[in-house]
Amino acid sequence: MPGWQKLYSELKSKNFEIISIAEDTGGVKDAGPPITAAKAEYTVLIDDTHLVTRLYDMVNVPTGVWINEKGKIVRPNEVAYVDNRFKGMHGVDAAPYLDALRDWAEKGDKSSFVMSADEMRARLKPQNPDHALASAEFALAEYLYATGNGADAIPHFKEAQRLNPESWNYKRQAWALSNAQKDYGTTFGDEVKKLNGKPYYAPRALPNEGKKN
Amino acid sequence: MNEILKRMSAAMLLAVLIAATGPAASSNGGRRVIYEGVVTELAAAEPSNDLWVTLKDLTRATRFAVKPQGVCRDELCFPIPKDRKAQFLVKKGGVTWFNLSEFARLTKQPTAYDEKHATWFFGPRPGQQNAFLSSLDAPEFSLPGMNGTKHSLSDFRGKKVFLVTWASW
Repeated sequence: MPGWQKLYSELKSKNFEIISIAEDTGGVKDAGPPITAAKAEYTVLIDDTHLVTRLYDMVNVPTGVWINEKGKIVRPNEVAYVDNRFKGMHGVDAAPYLDALRDWAEKGDKSSFVMSADEMRARLKPQNPDHALASAEFALAEYLYATGNGADAIPHFKEAQRLNPESWNYKRQAWALSNAQKDYGTTFGDEVKKLNGKPYYAPRALPNEGKKN
Repeated sequence: MNEILKRMSAAMLLAVLIAATGPAASSNGGRRVIYEGVVTELAAAEPSNDLWVTLKDLTRATRFAVKPQGVCRDELCFPIPKDRKAQFLVKKGGVTWFNLSEFARLTKQPTAYDEKHATWFFGPRPGQQNAFLSSLDAPEFSLPGMNGTKHSLSDFRGKKVFLVTWASW
């Protein structure tokens, strides 16, 4: 988060806002300490029902979406790292994305990083029915967890993971609320190893970077 | 949307209090439905994997009502297929029951069910979930910050907004 604060300080005079959203079923208990430590000046919100994950059909964090002055999406979901701390794991370089944000803050809808409606409609797909079911299972699991029935939530978290295997949010959130090895027979580290070189994020292709990733 | 979220938070808090202070309603045979984020405790019914609700509970939980032209809420109406009426509506001992699970299948609404807790969750219909794909309007939400104050995406209209998710996990 210090990285986003730096970018915010640089760009806030350009009618540019950052809304940072913690996708944390545990709410303030889990997301609170990093938020307090960050002392961010931009808006930081806590989403304890993964509402934004569902509304925007996201599968991972960090995911960035660009929304223009009229409330229209101008760049949909894509991986949005602020620095290269975890580059060794996922191979995504942060710099081209930060430069793209600077360009957009400066030029608005005239930025070459803003997508046309046609480009976006080609990229955005109606939610897969299995993923819609996964979302319902995940929400039911969250409700059971929030009402003190964490053990009974596990089968529903597992069903959400089965129905939407692309969602790292469903996997990692559920594992984090449990003893992953005991309750799910796996861990994040094991699952990343299983990828065996396959990308952890959907490949990103910004106009200012090659198609290598 | 704001209102729904407020109601959801209050209902969740209530549910937490119930869980903390005594047995959950479900262990007494109570049933509950979570519909568009709103938790509603329902009148008892015979055990069934499908969720049968009284017409009163239908409207309490979903704001839909059974009318001659179909199952309606505001301007929205879903006609009940004539040859399948019995799958939606059953009269028993003077009470009319409506099958909310069958209605969800008709409207392709995703559903999850937990038998032990007699809890049904109904997610958004595809038309609701996918509406933004044609308008490209960023889906609206209202969420609290650390001090509990809610902020809505629409509060930032007129600015470029970079929305970015993260998590503690």
